[in-house]
Amino acid sequence: MKTKLNLLLIILVTLLSQAAISQKKTITGNVTDDAGMPLPGVNVLLKGTTTGTQTDFDGNYSISAATGDVLVFSFLGQKTVQKTVDAATVINVVMLEDASQLDEIVVVGYGTQSKRNLTDNISKLTSSDISEVPNPNLQNALVAKAAGVQVTQTNGKVEGGINIRVRGAASVSGGTQPLYVLDGIPLIDPTGDIGAIGNGAQTNPLLTLSSNEIESIDILKDASSAAIYGARGANGVVLITTKRGKQGKAQFSFNLSQGFSEPTNVRKWLNTEQYIELFTEAAINGLGQVDGIDEAEATFDFLAGDTDWRTREVDTDWSKEAFQDGYQTDADFSVSGADAKTSYFFSGAYNNTTGIIRDNSLERANARTNVSHQFSDKFKAGMNLSFSRTEIDRIANDNAFATPLQAIAQSPLSPARLPDGSPNPGTLYGNFLLDAENAFFKTIIRRTVGKVFGEYTFMPGLKLNSDFSYDLFAQTEDNFRGSKALFQSTNGEAFASDLNSESYTYSNYATFDKSFNERHNFNAVVGTEFIKYDRRVTSVTSQQFPSDDLSTVSGGAEVTAGTGVQLQSTFLSYFARATYDLDGKYLFKASVRRDGSSRFGENQRFGTFPAFSAGWILSDETFLEDFEALSFLKLRGSWGQLGNADIGGDYPSLFLFSGVSYNQRPGLAPVQPGNNNLTWETSTQTDIGIDFGFLNGALSGEIDYYQKNTEDLLFSVPLIPSSGAASINQNIGTLESHGFEFVLNSKNITTEDFSWSSNFNISNNIIELASLPNNNADIVNGLNINRVGESVAAFYLREYAGVDPDNGDALYFLNTENPDGSLNKGTTNNVNQAQRIVAGKPFPEIIAGLTNTLLYKDFDLTFTFQGEWGASIYNNGGRFQSVNGDFYDNQSLDQLNRWQQPGDITNIPQARLFGGNGSAQSTRFLAKADFVRLRNLSLGYSLPSQVIEKMKISKLRVYATAINLLTFTNYPFEDPEARSDVEGQNSPGQTFYSAPPAKTISIGVNVNF
Amino acid sequence: MKLYKIFFVLLSIGLLTSCENELEVNPTDNIPGELAFGSEANISGILVGAYEEAGQQATYGGRLQLMTNLLGATNESFWRGTFIQPREAFTKQLLVDNAFVDGVWSNAYETINQANLVIDNIATVTSSVEEKNRIEGEAKFLRALNYFDLVRNFGAPYVSGQANTQAGVPLRLTGIVDYSTRSEIARSTVDQVYAQVINDATDAYNLLPESNTFYADRYAAQALLARVYFQQGNYPAARDAAHDVLENSGHSLTATYAEAFNNDVDSDEDIFTFQVTSQTGTNQLVNHYASELDGGRGGDVRIEQAYLDLFTDPNDQRGNFTYINPANSIRLTLKYTNQFGNLIIFRIGEMHLIRAESNFRAGTTLGLPPLTEINALRNRSSAAPLLLLTLNSFALERKLELAFEQGFILHDAKRTQTSIGSLAWNANALVFPIPQTEMDTNPLMVQNAGYTN
Repeated sequence: MKTKLNLLLIILVTLLSQAAISQKKTITGNVTDDAGMPLPGVNVLLKGTTTGTQTDFDGNYSISAATGDVLVFSFLGQKTVQKTVDAATVINVVMLEDASQLDEIVVVGYGTQSKRNLTDNISKLTSSDISEVPNPNLQNALVAKAAGVQVTQTNGKVEGGINIRVRGAASVSGGTQPLYVLDGIPLIDPTGDIGAIGNGAQTNPLLTLSSNEIESIDILKDASSAAIYGARGANGVVLITTKRGKQGKAQFSFNLSQGFSEPTNVRKWLNTEQYIELFTEAAINGLGQVDGIDEAEATFDFLAGDTDWRTREVDTDWSKEAFQDGYQTDADFSVSGADAKTSYFFSGAYNNTTGIIRDNSLERANARTNVSHQFSDKFKAGMNLSFSRTEIDRIANDNAFATPLQAIAQSPLSPARLPDGSPNPGTLYGNFLLDAENAFFKTIIRRTVGKVFGEYTFMPGLKLNSDFSYDLFAQTEDNFRGSKALFQSTNGEAFASDLNSESYTYSNYATFDKSFNERHNFNAVVGTEFIKYDRRVTSVTSQQFPSDDLSTVSGGAEVTAGTGVQLQSTFLSYFARATYDLDGKYLFKASVRRDGSSRFGENQRFGTFPAFSAGWILSDETFLEDFEALSFLKLRGSWGQLGNADIGGDYPSLFLFSGVSYNQRPGLAPVQPGNNNLTWETSTQTDIGIDFGFLNGALSGEIDYYQKNTEDLLFSVPLIPSSGAASINQNIGTLESHGFEFVLNSKNITTEDFSWSSNFNISNNIIELASLPNNNADIVNGLNINRVGESVAAFYLREYAGVDPDNGDALYFLNTENPDGSLNKGTTNNVNQAQRIVAGKPFPEIIAGLTNTLLYKDFDLTFTFQGEWGASIYNNGGRFQSVNGDFYDNQSLDQLNRWQQPGDITNIPQARLFGGNGSAQSTRFLAKADFVRLRNLSLGYSLPSQVIEKMKISKLRVYATAINLLTFTNYPFEDPEARSDVEGQNSPGQTFYSAPPAKTISIGVNVNF
Repeated sequence: MKLYKIFFVLLSIGLLTSCENELEVNPTDNIPGELAFGSEANISGILVGAYEEAGQQATYGGRLQLMTNLLGATNESFWRGTFIQPREAFTKQLLVDNAFVDGVWSNAYETINQANLVIDNIATVTSSVEEKNRIEGEAKFLRALNYFDLVRNFGAPYVSGQANTQAGVPLRLTGIVDYSTRSEIARSTVDQVYAQVINDATDAYNLLPESNTFYADRYAAQALLARVYFQQGNYPAARDAAHDVLENSGHSLTATYAEAFNNDVDSDEDIFTFQVTSQTGTNQLVNHYASELDGGRGGDVRIEQAYLDLFTDPNDQRGNFTYINPANSIRLTLKYTNQFGNLIIFRIGEMHLIRAESNFRAGTTLGLPPLTEINALRNRSSAAPLLLLTLNSFALERKLELAFEQGFILHDAKRTQTSIGSLAWNANALVFPIPQTEMDTNPLMVQNAGYTN
């Protein structure tokens, strides 16, 4: 059957080519690799035409050609071979492996390009980099893999938001996240800027994607590469390409893994004995001997409830209640393949993650089919279609009493549960267990992403692509709080919401690709794109339930709230790009995109974003031929302008009034000051880089220096509160950032049995505000300041000066300005006398990653270290957790080192209940967040091929993999990657009862056949 | 083959020409500001919006009352809640970045701006003179109410019988719609702000109808004037204003003390309230004073024995108007047990207290002799009548009647120049700091004594 099919194909191909061009002979042959193994799926092309074929499963091909024609044999990972047709009718070819990675193909937006000829800075990750990372969030696989790309999950909740900063952020108040483009569809965060839904914490917009369907992720970092995305490229572009079938026989692959998780770090808190000691002392110091003991004992009585604190009957470890053992099951399969005409890929994936925090879990199922078919030698069409269902059990945001992590504030004297097993309602703070057992918040996301595309070849070298894509993100939320839930006083409350986020992307582009005189290689792309985002949200709340068994809105007797919101935005774009190289050595590229958007003010609707770049492959020059060791050397430079259109929702420029209700009577209230001149931020970026390879690629790397200056910076400028509005969106100010990036790939050892290769990247980013609105006036947002000459959103705090050894008072540096301009470093115990200073920054200056891959016989070992230096994190919960017994919150263990008698030298002030001794917001709660982490470790064993061939499978590998296995840091709070999920972008770098990330170890098996 | 070509060309051309107008997208859930002042209906809508704004949690939704109650509290109640901002008020250690204080300031000015927008555009209201007067009067009432609470909390105390040139608050009397230029402004004096408040409230009194559903009517304005004059120590004027309310407003004491509180619909005693329903408005007093079962946080403010000891008559319903929260055995006030209950701003009880004390201080008996009036009020709560009155009786009676309501203890201390605990009536710590956010943005602003930035 198989051979018949092959025969048929060959006949068809032959017939077609003969129909097209006559007077030719048939050339046949066989293509093998240097080991003599046949290579299926090799492209065989008549040079200068689109006529071609591919080798079959046994490496054989047949093509009709005239004498003098040149046949080009190309195959990914092999060096391209050219053969001129002479009298012979059989041409056999041996292809040699391409040692350097430089012929790797990268996705550049509306096309692809070989990395060798690239004049841009693009980091590419392939499926092998991102599979097997035991975490449901795809972006977690990118951590430490690409130079200058910082990836941070907000905290350890399974659905938590993800921050990606490409070469530092280009914005202050505008969006700082890169543009995600999935198979050509520019995505938005469907839940962004909708206050009516969610629980106040962000979710990851790519949560619905499974890593098994991803072929590659290309991160466009510089202007030259990202300018093709114009007004949306300023923060970098992440191009996600899904898998398609590869030439060859059908391949079935299957992967199953099971993992176990726990928090990376759990902090230590006072036990009952220590709690009683500290708070008795605090009460005496705060209220006097008699009143103090009265107060403390009355409170202990209250906290202990029906138990006896005097006998230390109860010693509850509340963090044990907040955390749970996490589990993760991952299963996926795919079937893919392609013949000369049709390529197909089918996949399915299942993920079930139980988070490390009580009641937090996620279950996801994905399916995808990518099919394309070459109908004729001129027309090709296909469709990618995927659907997924993601069900999340969410917990409250970090700022809610109901969130499990806030349980660490509870006193160890309080039992978590009553003797009958029900949650203890008589705790200091609302007991989250009441919510854990009597409330739920279920979010279900159904997402369908589809794309149909056609490609029509008018003539060799000129083709037109037309893509139409549709993305439907349909989310429902069901939140029920039964009558016994925390703070529940309306006999239960149910909330349900419905979000439909649709986006349409319609792009048309023509590609012209031609070589002249074998020296001039020219490629041009011209196109248009129209994108429309449409979001519609409804929600309804009801109260007064006859029974806790009814948990939907209709069970409530009174409907108390509802919303209906529609949001829309559009983009219309024209773009063009041209690349030209001379002899494959001198490389040039120019691109331009003109973008218009409904989001911009009516006076500023269209913007144009150009970019230019050039490269020179020195290693191809004769004067470097003698340097045998140097196998590749390229210089490149680029300049371009990019925009950031993420400037605050869909209608950021309009002066708006919104409907309000007072006692059910309709009213109007101003909600947003307008600005007709509001427009995108313009980021001008310059990049200079060197790509090098030594010893035939055994050592290769890249060095880049970039400058990234953003003008027309969007500010949510705080208005004077007494003017009656909080802030206005304005394009004022400039931001300058620059940095180095260094990438080194080495093949340290390559022998038959053992090989060891390393990839190392390190980058720095210095970011500074160059000008600000209102004559460079400081902009203070809570604990963060934007000040000229400082980093974006630097911490602005009173400076803690330790403890007065004489009386145990907390001291602060005055930091008032002396006549000579220096700061007065005298101290005061009156907080209101102390001035704030810039005390640190929330973003790292240096990030680095090191990945080692070792292969020994049938074993493989890969591990990745991640490091970040220069950031600080402010613990906004510190003024409750670590304030020497200022209030009855359980205190961190270090508070036992409090000042007790004159002469004590310590950093912890005297314990004073209600004394406010050291409880003010200050650098006392700020800490450096430098860390190095063993991010990933994966150890595998593949059964030897002699064994599995008998089982008729091509690969069977068992593996163990771990994420966040080891962390090296002096950071004193939960974890440098545990940050508050409620603080907005204007106050980054804070932690507030935030969950540490999970440490997961999983074992699994891959099977291919 | 041709078909494909034509198809593509048509699609591309069609796209280029038809999409430019797609860039004009207007929101469906908001109206553009330019249209907001265009009709009478909209102006009256903006007025309703100003009530909604004023009823938000930061001010009259409860936090203003809570913060002033706590700043005046000593040993009769105790802040045991976990929020730091009210604790700073209770311990008299307010910091300049106290978010509740910031909320009072910014929310009050938001209401003032919206009231200003109504007043600026009053010419758009043309359907009738009555309607125009009503809208203008209500806007001026809201403006006066907010300025009064701003000046007495953010400015140093008003001292009767002398010029009050100490810094008050900035007076903004026209609405702002264009925020592209900065609106820096300096503080007016306490005298200037009081004068503006009296002006606005008097205008409101003259413009407003006799009754006006749950919106402010002329007696709401008169009750505000009574409170303002009283705070100034202008007792004859306070007496007259309170008397007008008592005689003419049609409002009267409820039969029992309990009936005066926790009402979904205004009681006979209510002169003006901010409205709360299960769908709109918020009652933060319930949040902080009530048990979990009643919609609170379990009782952030504990009532102490010292408060109960103030009541000499065990039958005084006001002294028994407390309960023990079963969840934590803490004594709480019964004034806040309905989370959807309206927020009382002016009630008849206060008017009686103002008229009686003003009569007493002025040596007059307008309406009722002071002793008769106080005993009538006591009688409503089954408290034994007093036999004779001194100035101290009024201070005590106001505590018994008005505890936990609207910071009366704090402002009475400033009016009568008596201490709060160990703090003198004019201590810096009893005045709110100008919020950090205002200091950070308004270069003309000057911080209050005792606070630095």
